[in-house]
Amino acid sequence: MSALKVMTDRERFTLTCVGTAGFFGLWYLAALLQFAPTKFLPMPHQVLMKLVQLCSEPFAGAVLPEHMWASLKRYAMGFGLAASVGVPLGLLMGRFRWLDRVVTPIFDSLRFIAPVAWVPFAALWFGTGIGGPTLIIFAGAFPPCLINSYRGAKGVEVRYLEAASMLGIGSFRTITDVLFPAAVPSIIAGLRIGAGLGWMSLVGAELIVANSGMGYMIVKGQSAIATDIVMAGMIAIGAVGVVIDVALRKLEKRLLRHRQQS
Amino acid sequence: MFRSTDDFFATGIGRFATVLGVLLVTVLLWYVATTVTGFIDANRLPRPVEVWQSLQAIATDGYGNGRLHQHVLHSLKLVAMGFAAAVSVGVPLGLAMGHSKRIEALINPAFLLLRPIPPLAWIPLAIVWLGLEDASKILVIFVAAFVPSVINSYTGVRNIDKPVLEAAQMLGIRGFSLVREVLVPGALPMIFTGLRLSLQASWTTLVAAELIGALYGLGSILNQAAQDIYPAMIMVAMIFVGICGAATTWLLGQFERRAMPWQQKSVLQ
Amino acid sequence: MSAIEFKNVSRSFGRDGKDVLVLDNVSLTVASNEFVAIVGPSGCGKTTCMRMAAGLEFPSQGTVSVAGKPVIEPGPDRAVVFQQFALFPWKSVYENIDFGLRAKGLDEAERKRLIAHYIGLMNLSGFESAFPHQLSGGMQQRVAIARAYALDPQALLMDEPFGALDAQTRVVMQEELVKLARKNPRTVLFITHAVEEAVYLADRVVIMTSRPGRVKEILDIKSIREQEQWDQHARVEDVMDLASFVHLRTRIWKSLREEHAGDPEH
Repeated sequence: MSALKVMTDRERFTLTCVGTAGFFGLWYLAALLQFAPTKFLPMPHQVLMKLVQLCSEPFAGAVLPEHMWASLKRYAMGFGLAASVGVPLGLLMGRFRWLDRVVTPIFDSLRFIAPVAWVPFAALWFGTGIGGPTLIIFAGAFPPCLINSYRGAKGVEVRYLEAASMLGIGSFRTITDVLFPAAVPSIIAGLRIGAGLGWMSLVGAELIVANSGMGYMIVKGQSAIATDIVMAGMIAIGAVGVVIDVALRKLEKRLLRHRQQS
Repeated sequence: MFRSTDDFFATGIGRFATVLGVLLVTVLLWYVATTVTGFIDANRLPRPVEVWQSLQAIATDGYGNGRLHQHVLHSLKLVAMGFAAAVSVGVPLGLAMGHSKRIEALINPAFLLLRPIPPLAWIPLAIVWLGLEDASKILVIFVAAFVPSVINSYTGVRNIDKPVLEAAQMLGIRGFSLVREVLVPGALPMIFTGLRLSLQASWTTLVAAELIGALYGLGSILNQAAQDIYPAMIMVAMIFVGICGAATTWLLGQFERRAMPWQQKSVLQ
Repeated sequence: MSAIEFKNVSRSFGRDGKDVLVLDNVSLTVASNEFVAIVGPSGCGKTTCMRMAAGLEFPSQGTVSVAGKPVIEPGPDRAVVFQQFALFPWKSVYENIDFGLRAKGLDEAERKRLIAHYIGLMNLSGFESAFPHQLSGGMQQRVAIARAYALDPQALLMDEPFGALDAQTRVVMQEELVKLARKNPRTVLFITHAVEEAVYLADRVVIMTSRPGRVKEILDIKSIREQEQWDQHARVEDVMDLASFVHLRTRIWKSLREEHAGDPEH
C-alpha cells in the first residue's frame, strides 16, 4: 500500500541521505575492518585523492586529461561514423522496401555478435591507434542508430506521405522534409542508446587494443595492482558517460521543444 | 499470380527466398573478393574455404585448450550463472523500488553512483579482486546484467495502470498476493525487456572478459586467434558468439511467450 | 441508518504553490439500498467525492463515513467500478471476479456459486476463460460490475462506468444496470455527467455547482418513477419519452446550464 501513500519531501530527503551514507559507510567499514587489504580495497577519500593526483602526475604515459582526450577523440570518430551512416541508412530503409529487404538479412545476421568480438579484426584491419577502436565503437553504436531511425521512418503517418506526394514533392525532398523531421524523436532516442553502447564499447576497445585512453589507464592500473587507480579511472569513465548523456538529453529537449508545446 | 512484387514478398516463401538470396549473394561476393580475384588479402579477410577448415579443425582437434563445444559450453555456463544471479537479485530489487517510494529513495543514491560506470570498466577491478578465474567473469557479467534488470523492473511496476492498482487495493489484495498476482504480472512485459537487454550485456561483457584473459571460452579463441594472426579462426569464433547470442535470445523469447499467455492476440471478438 | 455520509467535506489540492479548492463544504447522505447519482460540470469534484468514499483520497476537512465507520483506506466493503474498467489484464474473466472473493477468504464452493451467479446475471456465460483484451468494452465493464457485486459490499461506488463505452452499448448497459439494481437493491453512489443516465438510473439525483463543488440541489426521482410507473417500460427510449422523464431531465439541464453560464470558458 505504501506506493500510493504520500511521502513527504522531508522523508525523501532523509532516506536519500541515509542511502548515501549507507553506501559510503559500508565501503569505509569494509576497508577499515580490513575486509580486504587496502591495496585491494582503498577507502573512498583515497580514491578521490588519487583521481586528483592523476590529473597532474602521469600514469601509463599520460595524465588523466590526456587519456580522456584520447578516449574522446576515438569516441567522436566511432560514434560520429555510426550516426552518420546509421541514421540515413535507417531512413532510406524505412522509405524504400528493396533496400530494407537487402540490408535486413545482413544486419540481422551480424546483430547478435557482441561489439567487442570485433576487436581482433579491428586490430588486424585498422591497427590499434585510432582506426581499430573506431570500428569497435561503431559496432556498438551503429545498431540502435539504424533501428531507431528505421522505426521512426516506418512510423510516420501515411497521411503525411500522401500529402507530400499530392503536393508533388520529390523522393529526396520527401525524405529530408517529411520523413526526417517526423522521425526525429525516435532518431534521438536511438542516438542516446547508441551513445551509451558506444561508450561501453570504447572502454572494451581500450582495455584490449589501445596504448592510450582511460580504458588503457585502468588496465595498466590493474597490472600494477593499483586498485585506487582502477577505481579512479572507473569514476572518470562514468562521469564522462554521464556528461555525454546529459548533453544528448539537452539536445533532445531543444529539438523537441516546439513539438511538446503543441 | 502476384499482382506486384510486394504481394510476392508478403508471403512467407517470398520473404524466406529474399533472405536466402541476399545471404547467398553476400557469401558469393566474399568468395569472389577473396578467392577468385584475390582483391582482398587473405591475411586480412579469410577465404570461405579456410573458415570451413578452421571450423572442422576446432570442432574435431580443438584449438586453444579445447574443442569447440567445450569452449561454447564454458561461455554459456558463465553467462547463465552471471545472468541468473543478476536477475534474481535485480528484478526483486527493481520491483521493490517501483512499489515503494521509500525503498527507492533509500537505494537510489548507491544505484545512481554505480550505474554510469560501463560494465566493461569493471573488468580490471574484477581481475584485481578475483584474478583471471571464472569468478571474476561471473562478477562482471553480474554487474552488466544487473542494471537493466533493476531499471526495467522498476519502470514496469511504475507503468502499471493506476486504476488497476487501485482496484487491487479496493479488493483488499495485499502482501505476497499483491506482489505475485498484481505487481509481477503487471510489470512482466517490461521485466522481459530488461532481461533481453541484460542478456545482451552479459554476452558483450563475457566476450570482453575472456578476450582479456581466459583459458576457455569463445573470447579466449578470439584472443588466441588474434595472437596467432589466424583470421579464419577469428571468424569462426565471431560466428559462434553471434549464434550463442541469437540462440539464448530466442530461448528467452520462448519463455516470454509462455509466461504471458494473456498477451497473445486472439480472434475471439 | 445512512449507508454513506459526507459531513461538511472540503477538499483542496496544492497546485503551482496555490491551494485550489475543489469541494466546498459538501454534506450528503445516501440511505441504505438507495441509488444516488451525482451530476455536475466537469471539474466540480464529483469523482473526488466517489474516491473519498472509496478511501482512495481523503478530505481536507470534514468526514466521510460508510456504514457508520469513517473511511481510512480502500477495502472490499466499498466496491468501485472504474471508468477505465481496471480489470487485471493477466487474469481471465473468472479469475478477475474470483480475485476479490479469495482475498475475502470465502471457501471455494461459495466462490464458485457466486461467480456462476454473477456471470449468468451479467450475460458473460461462455467467456469465463477469456482475457479482458479479448472482450469488447461493454463486456469488460460487465465483468467489472460482476466483480463489484460479487463482493457483496456495503456500498457500490461507480465512477462514470459507462463513460468509455459507445452510445449503443451504453444504452444496453444502462438497461441491464436498472434490472440488476431493482432486483438486488444496493447502496449505490453513481457519478456521471450524462443527465439522462442519472435520471433513468437513480432514486435521487444530486446536482453540483462548478468548482468549487457544492451541493446545489437534490431531486427525488424515485417517487415520480413509482408514481408514473417507469419500470413497466423495458426500454430506455420508452422511459425517456415519458413526459415526467422529459420534465425532470429538462429541469436538471437548466440547473446545470446556469453553472456553465457563470463559467467564463463557455
